[in-house]
Amino acid sequence: MNLLGKLDWTAIPFYEPIIMGTVANVGAVVVAALAWVTVKGYWPYLWREWITSVDHKRIGVMYLMLALLMLVRGFADGIMMRTQQAVAAGGAQGYLPPEHFDQIFSAHGTIMIFFVAMPFVIGLMNFAVPLQLGVRDVAFPTMNSASLWLTATGILLINVSLFVGEFAKTGWVAYPPLSELQFSPGVGVDYYLWSLQISGIGTLLSGVNFVTTILKMRAPGMSYMRMPVFCWTALASNLLIVAAFPVLTALFAMLLLDRYLGFHFFTLDAGGNAMMYVNLFWVWGHPEVYILVLPAFGIYSEVSATFSGKPLFGYRSMVGATLAICVLSYTVWLHHFFTMGASASVNAFFGITSMIIGVPTGVKVFNWLFTMYGGRVRFTVPVLWTIGFMVTFVFGGLTGVLLALPAVDWQVHNSVFLVAHFHHVIVPGVLFGAIAGYNYWFPKAFGFRLDERWGKAAFWCWFIGFHLAFMPLYVTGLMGMTRRLQHYDVLAWQPWLLVAEAGAVIVMAGIVCQVVQLVVSIRHREQLCDTTGDPWNGRTLEWATASPPPAWNFAILPRVDEIDAFWAKKQRVRAKQDTPRRQRGYQPIEVPKNSPAGFATAFFAAITGFALIWHIWWMAGVGLLGASVTWLAFMFRTEDEVEIPAEQLGRFDRKHSVEVSL
Amino acid sequence: MNVLVDADSVRQAELLDVSEAGPAPKRIIAGFGFWIFLLSDIVMFSALFASYAVLAKATAGGPTGAQLFDLRNAAMETAFLLLSSYSCGLMSLAINSRHQRGTVFGAVVTFLLGAAFLNLELREFQDMIAVGASPQRSAFLSAFFTLVACHGLHVAVGLAWLVLMMVQLSMRGFQQVVVRRLHCFSLFWHALDIIWVLIFTIVYLMGVLP
Amino acid sequence: MTEARRDVAPGDRPAIPAAERSASAGLLVYTIGLLLAGILTATSFWVANTTAIWAPGVPAGLAVLAIAQMGVHLVFFLHITTGPDSTHNVLALAFGVLIVFLVLAGSLVIMANLNENTMAHTEMMNLQMQR
Repeated sequence: MNLLGKLDWTAIPFYEPIIMGTVANVGAVVVAALAWVTVKGYWPYLWREWITSVDHKRIGVMYLMLALLMLVRGFADGIMMRTQQAVAAGGAQGYLPPEHFDQIFSAHGTIMIFFVAMPFVIGLMNFAVPLQLGVRDVAFPTMNSASLWLTATGILLINVSLFVGEFAKTGWVAYPPLSELQFSPGVGVDYYLWSLQISGIGTLLSGVNFVTTILKMRAPGMSYMRMPVFCWTALASNLLIVAAFPVLTALFAMLLLDRYLGFHFFTLDAGGNAMMYVNLFWVWGHPEVYILVLPAFGIYSEVSATFSGKPLFGYRSMVGATLAICVLSYTVWLHHFFTMGASASVNAFFGITSMIIGVPTGVKVFNWLFTMYGGRVRFTVPVLWTIGFMVTFVFGGLTGVLLALPAVDWQVHNSVFLVAHFHHVIVPGVLFGAIAGYNYWFPKAFGFRLDERWGKAAFWCWFIGFHLAFMPLYVTGLMGMTRRLQHYDVLAWQPWLLVAEAGAVIVMAGIVCQVVQLVVSIRHREQLCDTTGDPWNGRTLEWATASPPPAWNFAILPRVDEIDAFWAKKQRVRAKQDTPRRQRGYQPIEVPKNSPAGFATAFFAAITGFALIWHIWWMAGVGLLGASVTWLAFMFRTEDEVEIPAEQLGRFDRKHSVEVSL
Repeated sequence: MNVLVDADSVRQAELLDVSEAGPAPKRIIAGFGFWIFLLSDIVMFSALFASYAVLAKATAGGPTGAQLFDLRNAAMETAFLLLSSYSCGLMSLAINSRHQRGTVFGAVVTFLLGAAFLNLELREFQDMIAVGASPQRSAFLSAFFTLVACHGLHVAVGLAWLVLMMVQLSMRGFQQVVVRRLHCFSLFWHALDIIWVLIFTIVYLMGVLP
Repeated sequence: MTEARRDVAPGDRPAIPAAERSASAGLLVYTIGLLLAGILTATSFWVANTTAIWAPGVPAGLAVLAIAQMGVHLVFFLHITTGPDSTHNVLALAFGVLIVFLVLAGSLVIMANLNENTMAHTEMMNLQMQR
């Protein structure tokens, strides 16, 4: 019996210089970072304050770190593809052989959706939602930690696939029969499935956590219609997570059963039905894009209101539009496979629903415009990203309405026109919003603002680079260029693809600007310091805390009487019509105790996942046993809370006084 | 949770809506969170049900449901699970009255009935595989085994959870956290019976119709 | 703290103070639930096996009985009511039911449509194979 299953030295692609070069470089950086932490003696601090933290703020920051790191990897995959397509015209083969190119486009999509966009929005929701609701943490803090670390496990596995084995070559959707064992006998699809299955559990638990938090834990007086709009969009997004991710879990379980135990859900023989995979995948896949974009829409609402100095226009219609999008997102999924055999009437139904779902988004866009109209707009970095979004997303959305027509879709499905469309909505929709949120809430998280100049430079590079990179793809798509081509014969496409390559390079410059922005901001953090907790003259409750807030957020839970209660109180205090704070005594409070359970669970999940991928059954058993022991230990722990004495609360509040507290 | 409200902001005569009353107590938070998780689990089952429904006729020349399903067996499984739901309800009553012996008794009965259910189900699977109706035979059988075994796996996890809860109950008595967890268990157990209603109706009863 | 309308965890009996609720009332609720569920289950088994009912109506009858059984479980075992303290629990359940319905109905309609539209009918396949 082979102790290492399918794993042996041939799994490591020593013959691939690009991979080996990447691994050497990244490995060196990782080793250097770990060495630095060790030498400086930071491990106890990291373990105590970050790795075992159940504080939503810390967890949110860690999600963002994961997202930003994976953005670099996902982008690297993207620019490699652009470069290959820029050169591989006519007889030229480029520098990426097909097996390699196929893994790159598969990894690019998988990473960008699951390990950049998801952690980015979940991280921002983690950080901001409890603060905006005026409470101390989410409903299930330890489970929150587990969600984070399970996502990290997924990230670990997909990165390990780079140098141990291979990744899937099926595209990020992994349709059977290509993804079945018969046509993908290697470990690539298994890496894809286990990585996503494990992080999917983390995401689902996050969904449960936030739905419960938003519905059951808000500051006294904060009824539903007094919640910030970001919390409404977070609620809708998490309801969709709870409703959609289980379908993906079931679907991947079925494919795993086909691959591991010879079942016949989607195989070519014995009655399997590959189209059912396509159907169920998109039952998950369409709500997924709304899971990503709704929180970004919420960020745009917060940013446009704050920096216009006006309340958000049309609060009620925003809430209505959000909930409408939430429900409607479950009625459109067939538009992802119009061309795959449905009859005209079924196509027509889903085409109509796909057009209807554009309406609530249109309502939102008008509301943002009317919010800014008549306000004194401060053109800060978050506002630039917001306006960039509005200008770009509207056109991307319009191409979506085009594609909603089955007749049009039949012409351009699976061409780069489609690729241009979905980047045209996801990048301005989700990514710009996430970056706006990152700039907006950064001072709250760390106590100093990000540098404005480098932030603006980053925005312009991204904005210009994005358009250069993707607008040509509409043209070549209409000229007949299929997606995912490793090389092509139509020389007429090449000039457009060279422009697209230039765009990618400019986006890269934008990413560099963002890295520089961070470094410069850290260097100049004294000058950029946020002393009041309210650097933007904000409207919502998170600005009523110190920057960064203490672990317990609010020593005394705020009492809320209206929308934008913080803003309203500030105005009254400034007009001398109210006292800045109520004189109340502090009582000791209890906060959840830090726990290694989340990290340990993810650690054992990583072992189990890797073992299952390589068919190392004893190791999988060890991993499952370890996870079970972790849960047992957690289940039987005797202390789950830590008491913070009243003097500590008072001391912190005196040291970090805020202008107004509720 | 700690809330101090000023005297001047208390509206004595008005009843605050529950949406304005501040964070809910832990029992409600835990119960509702588990309820949402259960709903997600039900959505997962619906994806498996959808696959089963689509593949129910894809027998690839192999045995069909009508040929394989033993309705008497299914009836006994149903009876066991339904009675275990009842005994779980009795256990809940005992927990509400903080009656430890009653709780343990209810748990033991629930466990035995649940174990009997699993035993019958495993035997059924064994018999089917013995006559060549394994999940690898056809898409219909893949879907059948996956759906029914997924439910069975949930039952098994539930039984393990129940045992652990009884251990914890004996160690700590009716502490708040123990009561909350037992409450979540009973939600889980009743939900499993609800799923079983769908399984025996759609898979077994409809499966033997001509 | 000011008086607030109470909220109830799923599975908890509606807001009656524990002292007032008697154990026998609880026992009665569960027992009635068991009996009703038992009757509905037995009826289902009978409907599936009898010739007394018009054959095409049998699946519909079974579906109705299944829904009734689930309702009995929800009301008698899980105490889901339409009272004001149960709103969240009912809304969450309704949302879940909606999603389940969309997934099941949508998938079945789509897969049937795909099958009808793309799978060659047996006569045509036989002809092709005979060549």
